[in-house]
Amino acid sequence: MEREYHVCTGCALLCDDIELREEENKTIIDSACRKGVAWIKNCQHPLECTVDAKDATSQDAIEKAAEILKSAKNPLIFGMGNSSLKAQEKAIELAKKSNACIDDTSSFCQGPFVEAILNDKIKSCTLDEVRDKADVIVYWGCDPSNSHPRHLSKYSYFPRGRMRQRGWEEDRTAIAIDVRKSDTAIICEDNFYRIPPKADAEFARALTEALSGKVPKVTFGMKPKEILELANVLKKAEFGVIFAGLGLVYSMHDLSPMEDLLEALNKKTDFHLMPMVGQYNMRGFNHTLFDQTGYINRVSFDGEDIGHGPQYSVVEVLKEKRVDAALIIGSDPLSSLPGSIAANLKEIPTIVIDPCKTFTSQIANVTIPSAVTGVECKGEAIRMDGVKVELTQMRKSDKMADADIIEKIMEAI
Amino acid sequence: MANAMEIYQLLPKTNCKKCGKSSCMAFAAALLSRENKLDECTPMLEEEKYSENYTKLKGLISPAEEASETGMIVHEELCIGCGNCVVACPVNVAEDPKGAGSGNAPTNERVILKVEDGVVRLSNVEDCRRFGENKILCSGCIVTCPTKAIEFV
Amino acid sequence: MGFDQFLSSPEMEILIITHRDIFQSAANSDSRFSDDYANLTAIIRLDKQDMKKAGLKEGNLVTIENSAGKVVVKALQSTYEEPHPGTAYMVNGPWVNALVSAETSGTGVPAFKYIEAKMKKSKESSITSFE
Ligand code: SF4
Ligand code: SF4
Repeated sequence: MEREYHVCTGCALLCDDIELREEENKTIIDSACRKGVAWIKNCQHPLECTVDAKDATSQDAIEKAAEILKSAKNPLIFGMGNSSLKAQEKAIELAKKSNACIDDTSSFCQGPFVEAILNDKIKSCTLDEVRDKADVIVYWGCDPSNSHPRHLSKYSYFPRGRMRQRGWEEDRTAIAIDVRKSDTAIICEDNFYRIPPKADAEFARALTEALSGKVPKVTFGMKPKEILELANVLKKAEFGVIFAGLGLVYSMHDLSPMEDLLEALNKKTDFHLMPMVGQYNMRGFNHTLFDQTGYINRVSFDGEDIGHGPQYSVVEVLKEKRVDAALIIGSDPLSSLPGSIAANLKEIPTIVIDPCKTFTSQIANVTIPSAVTGVECKGEAIRMDGVKVELTQMRKSDKMADADIIEKIMEAI
Repeated sequence: MANAMEIYQLLPKTNCKKCGKSSCMAFAAALLSRENKLDECTPMLEEEKYSENYTKLKGLISPAEEASETGMIVHEELCIGCGNCVVACPVNVAEDPKGAGSGNAPTNERVILKVEDGVVRLSNVEDCRRFGENKILCSGCIVTCPTKAIEFV
Repeated sequence: MGFDQFLSSPEMEILIITHRDIFQSAANSDSRFSDDYANLTAIIRLDKQDMKKAGLKEGNLVTIENSAGKVVVKALQSTYEEPHPGTAYMVNGPWVNALVSAETSGTGVPAFKYIEAKMKKSKESSITSFE
């Protein structure tokens, strides 16, 4: 019998081997991690369809949303990391139509690395290559055991892969570089390198020096010998990969220390970097916008030319109060942005499209419930490594897909 | 789980040998490895003055007695369902190289560990390498667990 | 030092580092308005010595404050083996984000993971609510 597999959209790992089983009138979810199971079962408090905090029909809510966007001079469209590729395309189209600023979470997390990869500045690879070939794996400023729980077991450390048939003990070396001994660092045992906060760039430079035969120096208490040893392990890799977490991204002004390190490594061996993208289709949004505008985020369609830059980032436009309405899709800025910045959303008309009630939906003028893609409706998404994945539907639902909601708003404008 | 010393402290410490061991310390070790059962120490059962220690000991060792026959306990509340143990377990790899062994969902029923509803579940424990005649101290699932959710007693 | 040593709950400077936690993520998917979510998010994990210095017991409420904002959360001792005096850990969420400064020098990226604040034992009776 052919097994029927589903894809989990709980994180950007998009595990494609999830099975559902009925047992005593309960659905059992096989092989998804704790985070994935919670995501698939989904929220206790689904979002209701409302206009000004009163129950409304979806027709009314969509019309009201259209009205808000139409009368706004320069609205913000934000989120889309948990939306299908189709919904992301529609959101960009809507942004063009309504002279909006469009931005996503990558703007304040993994954006710089995704951008560098799309512009060929950093060498990356796929997760399948990692499983089949990688022998040196570095978790830098990330803790997949908590953020992407099956990362180590499905791809990066434990599985047998085409060229890694002897198992993790013999075939692979896992290294953690972090400011704290995370759950992932515990698994890496002696290969854990603890660095002080914000010292990532300095450490990257020291490693680059060590690779070019100089004596590496750092201002914190790590001995040159230790750094040289690590550089040696990296150098001897047949296929190496650095998984870059937010800890790494946030601690650097620009990516040059990592670009230099990768360049130095690639003079000696084959080394790659992959950002630990969180939301299941954040990379999808970046790719889609990049294809259309050459930018991965922070784009403004207000005016003749396409605008791009930090001044169009969700953080700056909200802080400077430069937008006069907001459409938030599958995101909760009130919990993920600095409180004082997110609070400005309360002062402008806000529309939320989301499967669940969120802190942001509580203050929104219009709320429209959507189906969870990959659970309640089909779709497509781009995995954290840039590979396109088909998402199936796991259970019936009468909720609309976010792509359809955005389409309807556009029609109403 | 307690260590042998803690168990010993609660035993009669008379070295009466009624349990069949040469000393109370040896019996403590045997309890720990689940070779003997607590009730084989008859003085503890019969004599009133040991009853308090008996209850304490029972509490100390009972997790071991509830554990599967290999002595394996899964602390479900700690397990995050990451599947590290599923993929690292040598029996899983041998029984299902393309599925569990390659990081994917198990494709047959012969595996020992699999993840169900986000938590690891045991089956076929008799195939665990820690079980039976030729048992070895395999620790594939312990050292790979990020939360120490698996324990052998 | 000065007066501090005579106060039962002195104020102290801490550096807060944020991180992810799978149990909290799972609770987040389940309900953002549950006690579970608040219990797993509105906490700060402190070094053992820091707990002592601030006169805190496991589960005491603390007020954390800086120029960006102020929140009341629960203090727990961290489970790290190595001491980390002066540094504390919080899980991503609205509580810690209330302390993240809006100051970005125009980069669009706030300093989410590196937050300096003052902390002291709280007189409040419950954690800050965001509902
Ligand atoms: S690792 Fe991510 S994609 Fe895989 S099962 Fe867990 S939440 Fe879902
Ligand atoms: S390794 Fe530990 S946390 Fe992961 S599935 Fe196994 S028991 Fe659970």
